[in-house]
Amino acid sequence: MNKTIKRIIAIARKEMLHIKNDPRSLSIILLMPVFQLIMFGYALNTELQYVDLAVIDYSHSTASHDLVQKFTGSPFFHVYHYEGQFDKLDELFLSREARVVLLIGQDFASDLATQTQSSVQILIDAVDPNAAHMIRNYCSQVIQNFNAANNISLPTPFQIETSVWFNPDMKSAYFFVPGLLALLLIMICALLTSITITREKELGTMEQILVSPVQPQEIILGKVIPYVFISFIIAGLILFIGIWLFGVPFVGNLILLTILSLVYVLTALSLGILISTITQTQQVAMMIALVITLMPTVILSGFIFPIASMPLPLQYLANIIPARWYLTIVRGIILKGNTLQQLIQPTLVLLGMTLLLLAIARRKFSANLEK
Amino acid sequence: MQEIWVVMQKEFRQIFRIREMIAIIFVMPLIQMALLGFAISTEVKNVKLVVADQDNSFVSRELVRAFTKVEQFKLVGHVQSEKEIDALIHNWQAQLALVVPKNFGRDLQRGSIPEIQVIVDGMDGQTAGVAMGYAAGVLNDQLQKFLTQPQMRQLLRGVHMVNMQERMWYNPNLSPEQYMVPGIVVLLLTIVSMMLSAMSLVREKEIGTLEQLMVTPLKKHQLIFGKVIPFLILAFVEFMVVLQIAQWIFQIEMVGSLPLLSLLALLYLFATLGLGVFISTITTTQQQAMFVAWFFMVFMIIMGGFLVPIENMPPFLQKLTYINPMRYFMYMMRDIFQKGSSLHYLLKDAIPMTAYGVVIFTASVLKFQKRVS
Amino acid sequence: MDNSQISVRSHELTRRFGKFTAVDSISIEVKHGEIFGFLGANGAGKTTMIRMLCGLLQPTSGEATVAGFDIYKQTEQIKRNIGYMSQKFSLYEDLTISENIEFYGGIYGLKKEQITKQRDKLIGQVGLQTYTNKFTRDLPLGYKQRLALGCAMLHNPPIVFLDEPTSGVDPEARRAFWELIYNTAESGKTVFVTTHFMDEAEYCHRVSIMDQGQLIALDTPSALKKQTGKESMQDVFVSLLKSRRNGNEE
Repeated sequence: MNKTIKRIIAIARKEMLHIKNDPRSLSIILLMPVFQLIMFGYALNTELQYVDLAVIDYSHSTASHDLVQKFTGSPFFHVYHYEGQFDKLDELFLSREARVVLLIGQDFASDLATQTQSSVQILIDAVDPNAAHMIRNYCSQVIQNFNAANNISLPTPFQIETSVWFNPDMKSAYFFVPGLLALLLIMICALLTSITITREKELGTMEQILVSPVQPQEIILGKVIPYVFISFIIAGLILFIGIWLFGVPFVGNLILLTILSLVYVLTALSLGILISTITQTQQVAMMIALVITLMPTVILSGFIFPIASMPLPLQYLANIIPARWYLTIVRGIILKGNTLQQLIQPTLVLLGMTLLLLAIARRKFSANLEK
Repeated sequence: MQEIWVVMQKEFRQIFRIREMIAIIFVMPLIQMALLGFAISTEVKNVKLVVADQDNSFVSRELVRAFTKVEQFKLVGHVQSEKEIDALIHNWQAQLALVVPKNFGRDLQRGSIPEIQVIVDGMDGQTAGVAMGYAAGVLNDQLQKFLTQPQMRQLLRGVHMVNMQERMWYNPNLSPEQYMVPGIVVLLLTIVSMMLSAMSLVREKEIGTLEQLMVTPLKKHQLIFGKVIPFLILAFVEFMVVLQIAQWIFQIEMVGSLPLLSLLALLYLFATLGLGVFISTITTTQQQAMFVAWFFMVFMIIMGGFLVPIENMPPFLQKLTYINPMRYFMYMMRDIFQKGSSLHYLLKDAIPMTAYGVVIFTASVLKFQKRVS
Repeated sequence: MDNSQISVRSHELTRRFGKFTAVDSISIEVKHGEIFGFLGANGAGKTTMIRMLCGLLQPTSGEATVAGFDIYKQTEQIKRNIGYMSQKFSLYEDLTISENIEFYGGIYGLKKEQITKQRDKLIGQVGLQTYTNKFTRDLPLGYKQRLALGCAMLHNPPIVFLDEPTSGVDPEARRAFWELIYNTAESGKTVFVTTHFMDEAEYCHRVSIMDQGQLIALDTPSALKKQTGKESMQDVFVSLLKSRRNGNEE
């Protein structure tokens, strides 16, 4: 046993040297998550801004002028008048010069003066349906404001009061900082592990190690330990920046988070080990690791897209993704202070996955040796 | 020319010799396409809704029913107090709560304007925002309905309102697939082409065969093009296959010209493969190449307009997207797919994208040394 | 020596990596058709020297010509006139034997018929007739190395550089490999070979011994034996190093 530990430490030290001697990789591993976090933090913005709105005003009235003024006053729109021909209107969309066109008809002013309702047309470039929906809502809001200003007693049957709990500004950082933790831990642990092991295979050094008294388990353990360290450093870094720069609240227990993160890291490592047993070259290992960790984690784990919004079969499929369970854990602890009791189910699922992956990897590994 | 052909032949042999590689290049993207297409949507559905209907009158029940009728909301339970709501939200069991006050129906009839409360869990800021918008939409529809009722009509006397009629161009049903699926195709194309090319040269560096090639009269550009052209062909074939299958799976149709799209896709591949080769020339091990490629790809995907429209980003980030080749192709792909734009309207993207490819390839050839370091 | 007889010439060729001097002002001249051995322990600077001569590495100072071409300015011409086999095995393991030959032949711009002819000749030489469609990775190392040498000479270069070509193979395969080197030299090619096997030095026409980047001896094996009064090259090497170390200490 003692020898085992010594050998593992020796291998871990060798791996550490590899990492240390390659400062470029190390700095990328450490800096990239930070860079990603900051980019996500600033780029992930569902609010539309500066939507180009072209106005075609056939009414030329004070009323239509007032209405356009309301749009100009809104921070969402960048308003300008379209001077071209009516039948070449689609050029506005084709050239992306406008995303929405406000069309005020000739009779607008007279209708407004005499009738209860007067219509304007809104043409929206709906290539991005979500944005189109939002643009519609913004327009509707502006028009409601116009109506309210124009009518002293606008009737409302009831009023709506909305309140946002826990995250009043609805900052997306609250949700994606923990998500990023899940993503990076699995990427670093699964991807780096699989690559570092197949690398030895590809360069032929694996054979040499295999004929030495070192056990395969020892090699693998020794090789992964440094990456576990690195991933925890990164996790700490992300958490720190998330809290410090984006104001993510941390209400839970840090020790519990560390322990459960370790469980998740074990799952990720077993996945990486499994990949490395079934591949011969780094390129293939990397492709597989990327395909089965990055994509599903980003897409199916609930990191960005809520699982509840997906079709039912995908909701079931999401259950086999480790990050889906870890996300419940990490968001629960960080944002709502959940306890182990509340998180027992995801924890057990992760442990089960780890055992299953290791069992398969073991069988594959011995099968390979017999070949 | 013969030399390029010889290198190409060798690359093809090596690629097709690895069975997993073929699966990765051709089968995986299709599976991902299907998964992504169904999973990715900026729509929000099945928001867990809890209702505290303290009135329990005919009117209030009608109102609640309006919420259960749309797929955006999923009613998970009825409660009485705000305290219970708090507990449910705390345990992630509800995201949105609707509180209808006591005597809501009576107050409504009397015209004394009761107040409905909508509570949303802001933790998932993005979903919360969208869910709140939906809730407001449902409630506004109800408002309009009440207004058309006879007892309300008298209130409308002397009121002059503007009413908005919207027309959604290009995607009248606001189908998210129309928008997301072409984006996913671009994404897959980018990942495959960059990964393949980023690993290409550096793999030979690591195995040692590059040193052998360096002492041959093979020219730098012959080596680079000989290595890249097979990837270009593979990635392009993959693009066509994925594009066709995606249209079939998701029942969407491309409006624009396929030859135009193909041309632009080739130009885009030129840029991404160039970027990959560039990464390959500045790194010494496959592991390193992978990290750098990964770094670039994350940047490209986040800043390419795939998930977050570039228009939504703060101005300084918007400027940063100009150095991202994906930005250009993403716009063009979506425009050709949905609007059927002609080249004339796309030149402002096509030109910088092509220039990008030329610059990056030149840089790679210059940077690549037929020497060991 | 007459210039036209010289295929490799270096004058005070030096290469430093930072503070470390890998090759320290080495001057040599190698004749046509000569088997020129470069001896030294690992890290003595043999590989660096060969890499500079092949145009893979820029020297820090000094001059050299290979096949009459300058190693600073005319590296591309040099590459047309040399064959090179590196320490690392340099064939593609995931290609078959004939695919490897076709690839290297194509790179050297050989015509199709030439490639076919060369391929058959090479396969006959190495004795791989039954293996042409096998993957290179399945060959024993000795065969791989002879094949690699053949691939490096497909274009019939006048000079061949071999960097530790026999490391890691069994004595039988080494003998076979050296036979190939002899045939090569007899056909009029210059062979520049590095090794750390002292017995192999016996086969060379002339050997130079390197230590810590410096040239400490250069002559025929028999002259070196006479000079040191030793029986084998192994002893020659040891005694030369010993006297040098002692000399340094004094």
